[in-house]
Amino acid sequence: MKTNRLIVGLALGAGLLSGVSAYAQTLTVAVRGGPDSMDPHYSALGPHAEAAKHIYDTLVWSGENLQIEPGLATSWEPVDEDTWEFKLREGIKFHDGSDFDAEDVKFSIERIPAVTGPTTTEIYVRRIKEVEIIDAYTLHLHTDGPAATLPYDFVRLFIVSSDAAADYSTSETAAAGFNSGAAAIGTGPFKFVSWEPKGDLVLERFDDYWRGVGPWETVVRKEMPDDSARLATLLAGQVDIINYISSVDYLTVKDNPAVDAVLGDSVYIMNMQLDQREVTPMVRAKDGSDLAENPFRKQEVRDALNYAIDRETMVEIVLEGLGKPANQLMPAGFFGSSDDIPMPVYDPAKAKELLAAAGYADGFEMDLYCTSDRLPGDGAICQGLGQMFAQVGITTNVNAISKTVYFPAQAKGEYSIYMNGWGTLTGEASYTLGSLAHSDNPEVKLGAFNRTGYSNPEVDRLLQAGATMLDADARRTAYEEAMKLVVADKVLNPIVQLQTVWGARAGKFEFTPRADEDTLAFFIKPKE
Amino acid sequence: MLGFVIQRALQAFMVMAVMSVLVFCGVYAIGNPVDIVIPPDATQQLREETIAKLGLDQPLYIQYFTFVGNLLHGDFGRSFVYNVPVLELIGGRLPATLELVLISVFTATFLGVVLGIYAGYKPDSRISKTIMIVSILGFSVPSFWVGLILILTFAVNFNLLPAGGRGETVDVFGIPWSFLTIDGLRHIALPAINLALFKLSMMIRLARAGTREIMLTDTIKFARAAGISEEVILRRHLLKLISIPIVTVFGLELGSTLAFAVVTESIFSWPGVGKLIIDSIGLLDRPVMVAYLILVALLFVTINFTVDLVFALIDPRLRHGGKA
Repeated sequence: MKTNRLIVGLALGAGLLSGVSAYAQTLTVAVRGGPDSMDPHYSALGPHAEAAKHIYDTLVWSGENLQIEPGLATSWEPVDEDTWEFKLREGIKFHDGSDFDAEDVKFSIERIPAVTGPTTTEIYVRRIKEVEIIDAYTLHLHTDGPAATLPYDFVRLFIVSSDAAADYSTSETAAAGFNSGAAAIGTGPFKFVSWEPKGDLVLERFDDYWRGVGPWETVVRKEMPDDSARLATLLAGQVDIINYISSVDYLTVKDNPAVDAVLGDSVYIMNMQLDQREVTPMVRAKDGSDLAENPFRKQEVRDALNYAIDRETMVEIVLEGLGKPANQLMPAGFFGSSDDIPMPVYDPAKAKELLAAAGYADGFEMDLYCTSDRLPGDGAICQGLGQMFAQVGITTNVNAISKTVYFPAQAKGEYSIYMNGWGTLTGEASYTLGSLAHSDNPEVKLGAFNRTGYSNPEVDRLLQAGATMLDADARRTAYEEAMKLVVADKVLNPIVQLQTVWGARAGKFEFTPRADEDTLAFFIKPKE
Repeated sequence: MLGFVIQRALQAFMVMAVMSVLVFCGVYAIGNPVDIVIPPDATQQLREETIAKLGLDQPLYIQYFTFVGNLLHGDFGRSFVYNVPVLELIGGRLPATLELVLISVFTATFLGVVLGIYAGYKPDSRISKTIMIVSILGFSVPSFWVGLILILTFAVNFNLLPAGGRGETVDVFGIPWSFLTIDGLRHIALPAINLALFKLSMMIRLARAGTREIMLTDTIKFARAAGISEEVILRRHLLKLISIPIVTVFGLELGSTLAFAVVTESIFSWPGVGKLIIDSIGLLDRPVMVAYLILVALLFVTINFTVDLVFALIDPRLRHGGKA
């Protein structure tokens, strides 16, 4: 207790908490990314949704391991092929004291197309054709065909008040209305106090919250993108909790008695992709001449690349232990992941053998591209891969570059072999396989992020069938099969699953890391 | 004088027009911002719609002329990332940068000139040698490293000053300022020192070199012969004579620090415009980048113009152009 007082004294001395009398009632969090607006429907970015979850609620809640649970909706079930019935929780109050009902849900869904920004939240409601109010607490959602994953789409569909936001639901007025607080009225655990872009988000407890009264009277979320600056404020006692401690800093933090390091598995898996077009730009013979074909179209070459990767070393040496070797495109245990997929084996001799069998006994030269500033360790993993490929005779030029350059170039098809992280944010396979592994086909609205040109008719069939199976077990089986096929084809190659580290002032907080990496103040408890 | 002003205004206009074209083309060449910000499960159709909504499906020259057209109506556009008017976004963060930069540049200049004159006036004293050694350090040590060491020493190890952020602010004319509160000053101290160090060293060197040169001239000899006291010589004659290069450098430094204090702002999480522009580049937030760089061009033109006017006041020869 004495030490606690000392720490409190130091924190007060640091001047941060001037004006706040009861220290234990305030939680100060420094986060790497913050919201883009106080309008929850403006952006689908992770940090945006994370901040929104403090003020607003969703119909369907996604739990610590991304399992879906009742939120503002108490139950949901399909009533026919293309209609879902949602039953709403009764007796919920908005921050302004008004009641929550079906009208607010309809309003929230219908305002999205008008107010969303470039990181479009229309993805949450793209399947909905019409919202029908049956009674104040029952809704029928009509979809454009069977939409088996609709409840998963709803984990980031925030509900705003249809009264407070009525005048702030066009692209021009939304930001002004929400950022000033006039329309920032939700049913969530905290009430909005103030926010400015890239600055602090200040929140105060909502006493009528339906999950119960939260532990913090005031919450301050400070946006600090610089990793070392964020860590410094924690070490200086200015903030209580920070997210995303880098793997380099983790080594020093874990031995520091003043800081508790909390480790959690991330939803992000580093995914190395191989271009499948007939001609690919960034591969050539070692003497610089053109190859007769795209080597990545050969199964032997794709297998060889996988045998060349030592995933254990990648985790232990490159990531300082903050990760796990990955054998599929989603973390194990997610809906549609398969238990039958073996962990890839490291065998450089076998890799050379396979390259020789494919006609590349002398190897070839390629340019490997990766992001270097998006996820912890992405640049380092890239360099590790380069060295491992060089050992089996493939000259690899490593280009670990900013995401700002990487993603537009990747979309334009300028790369041949490239790696970036992919997070299965909804916790189920259609999100990942539907975007990455299905062939690029706007007709069926699948494969929008298939940049490799990968196309396996059996995978396509399973994914299309799965999307319409309202029976969860049948759908799970279809996705498991699809996952097995995709992993075996090795066009999309899972390398490692990342881990995330939070830092908290020692012995003062209890919280369970969430798989989607959100830091939610309501679920952080003070340690008695 | 009026001709001079008109000529300068025209030049400024040209600079800003060229600037806007360069920035626009540069950002266009990097790629489509939608590819960075689009959510991973968006369908092809949503991607096309988003591109069209932002006007990014138009050819470059049409996008450019739309932008210029709005600009002439005083509308810099809205940020892609925050959906608020760009001027509001930049204006909201300008006070933070302004106070940090003004405090550090003025402190650096005042201290630098005083110390520099001393070092030039008494070049062989021990204090002068110490001043020069410190100035070499200020020049040669990279500022991000100094920033980290400052944080490590004063915030983490000794817990004397906060490691980052802006602290308590007071509203004056509706604009929040932090240099008016104790807490705000505590927050401003480390970043201001960090930012001032390089400028301080430069001012010391400039003032010292000027002093050593001027002290040997006939002006000073005659002034001494006329029995004018050393203090008056330093204050009235020397200071005036060494101030031309100092004012030039001061102007340039003020401009570049205002525009690009980004390293210090990042390390100390200072919510200024430098951090805003770096984040906007990261997300290819084109309206913010273009507006910001045009404003920076305007800032430099204004500062240089002011510097030229100040020259004319200090040095009568410059007032008459090449005629004297």
